[in-house]
Amino acid sequence: MKLLLTINGAEDRIEILTPAPACRFQMGDSAERGAQVETPEPGVYSVLMDGRSYDAYVEETPAGLVVSIDGFRFEIEARDPRRWSRKSARRGAEGIQTIASSMPGKVVRVLVAPGDSVEAGQGIAVVEAMKMQNEMKAARAGKVLSVPAKEGATVAAGEVLATIE
Amino acid sequence: MFRKVLIANRGEIAVRVIRTLREMGIGSVAVYSDADRASRHVRMADEAEHVGPSPSAESYLRIDRILDAAKKHGAEAIHPGYGFLSENADFAAACETAGIVFIGPSAESIRMMGSKTAARRTAIAAGAEVVPGTDHGSTLEEVREFGRAHGYPILLKAVAGGGGKGMRGVEREQDLESAFRNASSEAERAFGSAEIYVERLIRQPRHIEIQVLGDRHGNMVHLGERECSIQRRHQKVIEECPSPLVALHPEMRHAMGEAAIRAARAAGYYNAGTVEFLVDQERRFYFLEMNTRLQVEHPITELVTGLDLVRLQIEIAAGARLPFGQEQVAWRGSAIECRIYAEDPYNNFLPFPGKITRLTRPLGPGVRIDGCIYSGWVVPMEYDPLLAKLAVWAGDREAAAQRMLRALREYDVSGIRTNLGFFRQILEDAEFRAGRLHTGFIDEFFERHRPPHPPADLAAVAALAAALHTMSRNGAGPPQSGGARPSAWLEAGRSDLLR
Repeated sequence: MKLLLTINGAEDRIEILTPAPACRFQMGDSAERGAQVETPEPGVYSVLMDGRSYDAYVEETPAGLVVSIDGFRFEIEARDPRRWSRKSARRGAEGIQTIASSMPGKVVRVLVAPGDSVEAGQGIAVVEAMKMQNEMKAARAGKVLSVPAKEGATVAAGEVLATIE
Repeated sequence: MFRKVLIANRGEIAVRVIRTLREMGIGSVAVYSDADRASRHVRMADEAEHVGPSPSAESYLRIDRILDAAKKHGAEAIHPGYGFLSENADFAAACETAGIVFIGPSAESIRMMGSKTAARRTAIAAGAEVVPGTDHGSTLEEVREFGRAHGYPILLKAVAGGGGKGMRGVEREQDLESAFRNASSEAERAFGSAEIYVERLIRQPRHIEIQVLGDRHGNMVHLGERECSIQRRHQKVIEECPSPLVALHPEMRHAMGEAAIRAARAAGYYNAGTVEFLVDQERRFYFLEMNTRLQVEHPITELVTGLDLVRLQIEIAAGARLPFGQEQVAWRGSAIECRIYAEDPYNNFLPFPGKITRLTRPLGPGVRIDGCIYSGWVVPMEYDPLLAKLAVWAGDREAAAQRMLRALREYDVSGIRTNLGFFRQILEDAEFRAGRLHTGFIDEFFERHRPPHPPADLAAVAALAAALHTMSRNGAGPPQSGGARPSAWLEAGRSDLLR
């Protein structure tokens, strides 16, 4: 099975040739590799590869998967190229920027409404958590398409606050 | 001794106090807000009382509700922890009026040490050195005179200030006039007051503090120093004892200890307290302020002295004499503490509350965790992001640093972001290992380092795990080729039958 991956922002792909536990896989165009994989508990992958032992912890977030190994964090989005996904469709849509919350928290202020014109760097919404406020800003100038953010609502990290065309 | 004590706090410090109460055979009463019903301290305490809605101003800061809870449950004393009401003189006085013992100093001592300016006056009267400054709104001419008298560099600060606004370092007199004008207008915009005062600027200072402990019979000792120079947003993140500087110059411990005791005595202090000093590069130390409560970082002092500070606090509050003198205080080995916060160090340390989906804690030799988190708990967004304090002890600083790295590697908190990985980077940093610490360390650290770059093999393993996880999620069969796992209930039933 082939999957397209985005690992910490970089595009890559992986093909699983033989499933776990005696797994064989190939990253991009590099050589085929073998790894012995066990799942001691859901979301935990014990991987033995080239004689080394790794514990990989996988968690699911709204933005994709987060894999932690030895304290290193990998943000990974895995897509099946045979499946149509709304995410990949949206990725393709030119010129639409989504303003997402960079931290979980409560929306304390929404600063724009659909139809508004915004400048690059203009504040879109203010999210508060643990007594710290953080203003999410527009990356580029444009017109506000939608504002799913509601004042007083709780948002997760990566949750879309507004879209701008 | 008390039979029951109420803890007017939450989170890890409430858990810490409950542990000692239990060891002493004293009953514990927790208080909680709406957000904290399922918190560890409530589950661990013998008794618990709801004190209001989630905002702390309506719960943990409500003196009336805390006292009502204490009366209702028959608590004879209140431990305030740190933060919240711990340095509130009115609360200490209200406890006394209500006939409940406040486990801490007198309301009068809190008042004398509570504000920075009052504490500075008390310390000066006790002969402590403070950073020279004007302490009041000054004209450009006054600042110029100050610079000539004390030498450059100097630091201009907004009287109404905080958070670095209206602050300017000045290296030479010819730069003073424009710096003064800029600082003044920045202060005006930020605080509505253009008033500026001046202090001598201390380059790359260290933050070193002294733990003091006194009883109500006039006995007082110091328990040595803690170096807390590693800070972000003026908040400590790593503390250690001994300070690497004091380890090289052991006479400093005695000198700072004596100065701390003099300042505390001047305020008629008893119970546990901490005197904070700034230390310059010539190893001169200046009184900064006094914290009239138990410190967050008290575990490292406990690890090197072998004492239980909470137990001593409770005994002193109950009227006991200090069970030892200064000569009996001994320091052994080296301890380091990391404050584990729910925050993203690579995104301006923004907080990151949420549900903890999985938790694996380090164990083994020399590791201590003071925490309140558990797998499945939702870290509330209403309070401080401190999740736990990871402290290690070893024979010397190098061994303690290695042990901390080992423990950090075993620590996994999933579901939220934490600064665990960031601590590993700092502990591996050559400057840190050499003990060259100062309060600007983290800013400089970010200039030297990027977020850690993982080895290529780790990325391949991560990709493999993500792919297998996605396949199992998408119903492409379970990741194990050995077929579906039997249900956990079935397995439990079978192993029961085998017993």
